[in-house]
Order: sequence, then C-alpha cells, then structure tokens
Amino acid sequence: MKSRWVVGTGDYLDLAYHAWTQASATEDVQKITVPQGADYEFDLSIFDTLHPELGDVFIAVDDRFGNFKRMELFRVALERGFTLSSFVSANADVASEAKIGKNVFIGPQAIIGHHCKIEYNSVVHAGAQIGANSHLRASVWIEPGVQIGSRVEIGTHAIIRTGAIVRSGIKVGKGAELGWPQLYSADIADKTVYDTRYDEPILVYGS
Amino acid sequence: MQSRMHPKYYLSQEIFDREQIKIFRKVWLFAGLTSLVAENNAFITRKIAGIPVVIQNFKGEIKAFENICLHRSAPLQQGFCGRRALVCPYHAWSYDATGAVKNIPDCEAIYRFSADEKQSLKLREFALKQVGSMLFINLSTEPMAFEEQFKPEFVALMESAAQSFDTEVMVTTWHGKFNWKLVYENLRDFNHVKFLHAKSLAAIADFPFEAPIQADLALTPLEDISIPGLRKAMRPFSYGGPEGKIDAVRPVPWLNMVERWGTEDAYFNWLAYPNLHIACGNGGYSFTIEHHIPIAPGQTDIEIYFITAKKKQPYAASYQVLLSNMHYSKTILTEDIDMLEQVQSALHIDAPIPTQGAYESTNRQIERWYTELMETEHEI
Ligand code: FES
Ligand SMILES: [Fe+2]
Repeated sequence: MKSRWVVGTGDYLDLAYHAWTQASATEDVQKITVPQGADYEFDLSIFDTLHPELGDVFIAVDDRFGNFKRMELFRVALERGFTLSSFVSANADVASEAKIGKNVFIGPQAIIGHHCKIEYNSVVHAGAQIGANSHLRASVWIEPGVQIGSRVEIGTHAIIRTGAIVRSGIKVGKGAELGWPQLYSADIADKTVYDTRYDEPILVYGS
Repeated sequence: MQSRMHPKYYLSQEIFDREQIKIFRKVWLFAGLTSLVAENNAFITRKIAGIPVVIQNFKGEIKAFENICLHRSAPLQQGFCGRRALVCPYHAWSYDATGAVKNIPDCEAIYRFSADEKQSLKLREFALKQVGSMLFINLSTEPMAFEEQFKPEFVALMESAAQSFDTEVMVTTWHGKFNWKLVYENLRDFNHVKFLHAKSLAAIADFPFEAPIQADLALTPLEDISIPGLRKAMRPFSYGGPEGKIDAVRPVPWLNMVERWGTEDAYFNWLAYPNLHIACGNGGYSFTIEHHIPIAPGQTDIEIYFITAKKKQPYAASYQVLLSNMHYSKTILTEDIDMLEQVQSALHIDAPIPTQGAYESTNRQIERWYTELMETEHEI
C-alpha cells in the first residue's frame, strides 16, 4: 500500500489529514507534524524518513507568514522528488477543464468555474466560489465561503478571508490580504493588508 | 503637586485652534520619508496643521507647496503618495519647481491674463529639512532654524539612525479618540510600562528611570519669555537615545538580511516635540515611526511607519517581516491607546487637576512652557 504523508503544522494540517483519510481508501494516510523552532524555522529532518518510491507528500501549512511557510515546505518536498498531487474534494464542483496545480487543496462545496487556473500550493477552502476564467497564482489562501467573481486575478501569496467578496474583473496584487468582510470593487495594490484589527489598510511602498 | 494642565487643554476647540497656530504652524514637524519621493515626479500629500501640503520631487529636487491650485482651489495631487507631474486635474494648470505656474492651456484665448498677472501666480512654498531619510517641514513664513528647535546631539543620533532606514516602508493610520498631548505625557512616563504593559513590553525590556532629588519641577514661572527664550526652553523637550535595557535579541533569520544600525543591544527611543516618536526596540534592526496628527481636541491620527535597517539584498518575504513586526508593535500600542482613550473619555471641564510627582519633571517643564504659550500673547 502506498503512503500519503500529509506534512505540515496547525489546524490546517488536521483538516487536510482528515480530508485525505476520507478520500483515499487505497492509501495509507499519515499525518506528520513538522516542528517550528523558537526562530520559526522548520526542523526538516522528518523528510529523511520519506521516500518518493513509497508514497507521496501533501504539504499542509496554513497562511502563516503570508503563505511563505507552506511554500518553504513545498519547495523542500519538490526538491526531494515528490509528486505533490493536489487534493480536490469529491464534493467540490470543479469545472472539468479547470487547471489545478501541484499541492492545491480544494475543500468540499467549493465551486471552481470554467477555465479557471489555480496554480501550485494554493488553498481554496470549503464553500468558496471562484467565478469563471479566474486565475489564482501560486500559494494563495482562500478562506471558507469567500466569493470571487469572474475574470479575477489573484497574485501569489494573497490571502482572502471569510466574508470577502471580490467583484468580477478585479486584480488582487501579490501578497495582499483581504481580511475586512466587505465587497472589494477596485484593484488592490501588491502587499496591501486589510486586517480587522486596524482602522485603515496597511500599505507597503518601495522595495 | 498640582499639574498646570487644566482639562480645558484637552477639550476646548478654541485652545486646539490656538495650538495649531501658535505651535504647529511655527515649529518643524515630521512630514514623511524620502524613500516615498525618491523618483522624479513622485509626491506625497499631507494635511499639516490644517494646511494641505504636497511634497514633490522635481528632477531630484524635493519641494513642499500648498496643495491648492491657484485657479479654482482644486487639490493638485491626490492620495497619500504617487507619481505624477504637478498638474491640476481640474483645468490642467501646471507648476514648476519654484511653484510658479508653468503652463495654462489656452491662456491667451480664454483667460487673457496679463504677463504680470501670470507671473505673480506662485504656490505657497514651505521650508523642508532632510534628516537621513526623514523629511521635516515648517509652515511658518519665517521658519526658525532647525537647530534652534532641536539639540545637535539629538539630531545627530536621529540622523545616523535614519540614514540606515531601508527603502521598503509599511505604513498605516489608527484613529485615536484622545488629545495628542496625552500621547506625549504617556511617552515621557516610563513608570506605566511595568503596570500597563506588564505582560507585553515589560516582559522583554526594562526602562530604568529615576526621580532625581534635584529635579527641576518647574515650580516658578518661565524667566525668559522672549521669542528666542521660548525657543530655547523648547529645545530640551526633544531627546532620544538608548533608554531601555533589552534581553539579547532573539536570533530570527531576517536579522541576517539587514545591515544593523549600530551594535548596542538597547531599546532606542526618540521623542521630537511636539508629535514624533521613533522607537527601535531591538538594537538597530528595525524602526517604528509614530507620527501623531492632531485632528480635533479629542481626536488624534496615529500614523505608523515600519521599516527595517537597510536590506543587504531584496528578498520576497521582506514585507511579511514588516507585517509581523507591525502586528507586534500594535499589541503594545493598543494597550497605550486604550488607556489614553479611557483618560480622554473621563475628562470634563470640572475634572480634578492631575497630581504629579518628582519623576514627572520633564512633563512639568513642558507644561509650564505650553501654558505660558497658550495663556499669553507670547510667541515662538
Ligand atoms: S482649479 Fe486647477 S486648473 Fe482650474
Ligand atoms: Fe506605553
């Protein structure tokens, strides 16, 4: 029996582990927590015990550090030769010609419209709706119930939180975080953060 | 002993207006960062002491003008910052680096200004001073020398730090419901740290302070109330340096990505009177600029900039480093803001006058100067 190692940390690791367990009767699904040190660095030694011939890895780290932590483990797994298949819930409604990249997670009741492209390492949680012809770049995090219109472009590492509605045709910049539950009807600049604890958006200038 | 600060100083609109004219339109104020206006035509806009201001780069020269078109008063630039020539969006009058009108479309045909009239059209210009990558502005028609307001050693240390600022800047604004003066009374009071910030700041830093026996408690009235005298009295209100002791900085990877400013493991603070606070809580790796903008007697905007020391090279996650530091600063600052909002909400015109102790001598000196300025015709 082939193994399915669900590797990561936090609540999302649990969620992904249970999703894989329910979905695959033919695999030995195992949950592997990667510890983070006081400096937030991962202890990667766990990868030394996993071999691509014996199974596949799914990386499950949440949106921490702007999805960069998930990306970090994704890269490690890729370098070590794992296939990193995506997970699409049997209860999701994914248009047949939609393109889904490596290590993508699509939760139950999510709807992915026709001609959507969801790039590697992105997460679309339960009940989120992605309108037709939309494009999610790599390492995006879409929370449950988020509604995204058609022809929307979402930059790498962006985070869209529950309650957000993104109007059709909008461009969401890379690294943006749409955390205010509201309708977003204008393009969002790169790295703009709408966090409910703040009175105004947090903006980044220069590089 | 009793403070000089009657509740009216925090509540009265009339006093607020007087402060704006007698202090904020006279002194040097923080205006922004040069990294936001680094390129030709880059600009920032601000409202400073009620005056809309545009700070604009003209081929490398940075100038500050009143952001009001001389034709029919439209703002020339809009938004916090951007990149666009200084041209009015309403009827397209354009302005040059001296603030003079450069071009008026169809001037001869429809305006028929005389040459004299056209030449007299010039935007009001304000004095600017660059300190490292920080910009200061003075709205006065006869601005005092920068050195008259700030001590040279204060400027030198602040400049040295501000030269190490990175060009990637994170900025946001909080809307505080309190009078701007409460912030600075709080920032000059290290005694609150171990109580108000018991679980947050006090757990990682220690701010030793004392109440010297010889402390000047400003019991007597100010002696020299001439203009130079009042300016001189103001100078010690701005100070800064390594004020807090911190535990050794926890080694997180991003620290290696920046050129640390200095080598001292300390909590650095700079207070520039009246409304700028710079903090560096990790011995030179990153800086928070807090700019407190008075909006109304009970309303202050807190504009927060977060920057690291200069990056050795760009890296993709650098904005996330800024964001996690911003969130951390916010947890501590929220403790202050919540308290100041409580203080403001309890104030009324017959509220008890505050009682101050010896350790509050700096606040007492500032308050003597402030009340002198508010209650008399004397000027700075
Ligand atoms: S108001 Fe500016 S050109 Fe008319
Ligand atoms: Fe405080």
